Amino acid sequence: MAEEADADGADATARAQYLSGVMADIDAEVRRRRASGDLPAGLERELDELFLEFSPVGLQGKARLRETLALVDGSAYVDVAVPVDSQKMVGSYVKRLIRKTMGWYIGFIVHQIVKFAWSVSRMFHVVVDHVEDLEAAVDAERTPELPASAVPVVDAGSAWWSGHAVTALAGVSGRVLHAECGNGSLLDRLSAAGVDAYGVDPTESVIEPAIERGLDVRAESVLGHLEVVADEALSGMVLSGSVQWLHPNQRDRLVSLVASRLALDGVLVIHSATPESWMAGTSHLVSDLAPGRPIHAETWGHLLAQLGFGPASVTRGGDERRLEAVGASNPDAPAINAAIDAVNTLLLGSGEYVLVAVRER
Amino acid sequence: MTAVHQFVPALLPRDATGDHTLELRDTLRAEGWDSDIYVEAAHDELSDQAMYFERYPERAQPGDILLYQLSTASPVAEFLRTRPETLVLDYHNITPPSFYEGWEHHTSKKVALALQQAAELAPLATLGIADSSFNADELRRLGCSATAVVPILVEMDGRRSRVDQAEAARLAAAHGPGTVLLFVGRISPNKTQHHLVEALWLYRRWYDPAARLHLVGPAVTTSYVDAVFALAAELGVADAVRHGEHLSDAELAAWYADADVFVCLSEHEGFCIPLLEAMRAGLPIVAFGAGAVPETLGTAGILLDTKRPSVVASAVDRVRRDRALADDLVQAGRRRLGDFSLPVTRRRFVEVLARVAHDQAVSA
Repeated sequence: MAEEADADGADATARAQYLSGVMADIDAEVRRRRASGDLPAGLERELDELFLEFSPVGLQGKARLRETLALVDGSAYVDVAVPVDSQKMVGSYVKRLIRKTMGWYIGFIVHQIVKFAWSVSRMFHVVVDHVEDLEAAVDAERTPELPASAVPVVDAGSAWWSGHAVTALAGVSGRVLHAECGNGSLLDRLSAAGVDAYGVDPTESVIEPAIERGLDVRAESVLGHLEVVADEALSGMVLSGSVQWLHPNQRDRLVSLVASRLALDGVLVIHSATPESWMAGTSHLVSDLAPGRPIHAETWGHLLAQLGFGPASVTRGGDERRLEAVGASNPDAPAINAAIDAVNTLLLGSGEYVLVAVRER
Repeated sequence: MTAVHQFVPALLPRDATGDHTLELRDTLRAEGWDSDIYVEAAHDELSDQAMYFERYPERAQPGDILLYQLSTASPVAEFLRTRPETLVLDYHNITPPSFYEGWEHHTSKKVALALQQAAELAPLATLGIADSSFNADELRRLGCSATAVVPILVEMDGRRSRVDQAEAARLAAAHGPGTVLLFVGRISPNKTQHHLVEALWLYRRWYDPAARLHLVGPAVTTSYVDAVFALAAELGVADAVRHGEHLSDAELAAWYADADVFVCLSEHEGFCIPLLEAMRAGLPIVAFGAGAVPETLGTAGILLDTKRPSVVASAVDRVRRDRALADDLVQAGRRRLGDFSLPVTRRRFVEVLARVAHDQAVSA
């Protein structure tokens, strides 16, 4: 019996390996198509956008409201002139007679129905006008979009934190996503460590070197990509790059997607600048136009703990920004150095951090 | 005598829940148990098989076990909430309302109500039976303290595997030698047939310009159906997409027989019986691993972690080009089908319900 079970287990393992090999071939074929130009970056996103044009879900703002309003207007008129045509001579006569004798009655009822329908329609017009005013007001508050060219190209593989990411993910057995993967250098390191890793990045031009090296990378935003990934399909995830300055609402959505798409025991790695160093060190264009701001490692830990992640381990690093203490020869050294220590602790110090957390439930 | 009476919102012919309910009733009776079916509504063909649910109190006996086939909103749920008998839920999944938002407001409301009713009943149930671990997880989240996984009772042999030859000939005459991709399931936003259209478009561009997509299933969400076919027209593949509905078992078998690959890109499935039908028809399967699909499929198909058209098209091509792989998947499908055979699932159902009856007797 035990031998049979062992044989079944061995068969299942061999079969899983066989299917995994087939999947690898399929992925390689897609990469080959992409490299050959058969699959331009963004084509698949365009297909989904095309579908949205035909869906009520896709009609946004004015188009959706106005289309619905036109339907209401179109239905708000009731015709009292009942058709009287008939294939039989007598049929037409009878219908005309009924229309004539019932006309006063039907007309009275229809008059009230139409009056009601027009009142409803008028109310909808008022609501739509109001909504459009609100949209215009919201639009006036909108900040200009951050140009992609202003965002620094990510070379995560050579960053100080890449070793921490590779160590954290080296043991996982399933697929690992790196968002935003930039030129794919961290994917190279993960692959070298035996990790089945792929990447996404919203900027098509940035991922071209990775595509040329045959890596599995896709020109997609992390949110757009995670929306179509199955629950618990990923064993690990690295979040880096502009993920740290997502709008707060988008960050909430991201955390929720990460928690559902990661399998149990899945490993999450987040790299971010500290809010203080980001404000001081990033380009003015980015800091002024980015939709959100980086948050502290403790805040990430809090958000993740709420969704079933275990305690986060945080390693700080990056550029060390620190004021030097004045020498003891200065008579005011104790007071000055106390102030310097406070500034170092509260405002300066390590400029970045990498956080590792495991999904426990 | 042990009595397990089933309650179901609607008893319909050629419907998975309806067939399951009748099969379970017959199984329990064959075990010498007392078992009747109570419904909110029954199709004319089956009206003599069931009684209106409000008639149950006049026939109730001490020790009765009430088993509710839970898949949609119904006054039956409100009725069961007030009953003192032991309650068992048999959960077939409820599609989350978010899939219908923007598409069909009333359906979104209806499934939200169904979920609310499920959440009210789940804590009252002695046991929740689910046809997949995926559904069992949902039942636990709804508040069910004890769950058991027992696959749905579904007849996979006999009359259901007979092919309507006239329908098969009609289908074959309607298209050339191109690959036929098939998906079976109601046309609905959670089944994401639009992704199948996108995959077909790319598959035709890259591999087989004569390929076709056959979609079988009721067109229930009309706004979504219109959008799927508008997309097909925009992509220039409208003539290559064919829709079939209201099919008899033999006609459905003909659509399976006419196809080359079964492709499922659903985002939410509680079990997915069409996967078993495809296995029975000897079709290789390519499927997106969402909901209960990975569990039902096992290793009997190519399981994708994305619905990107490029990956789907490439997977279909691989299955079409690699005869050994296709044969392997078909053989694995036949083996997998054995896990869901009626004798196996019947026995499992009886074991689970016998345990409930035993525990009830002991506690009494």
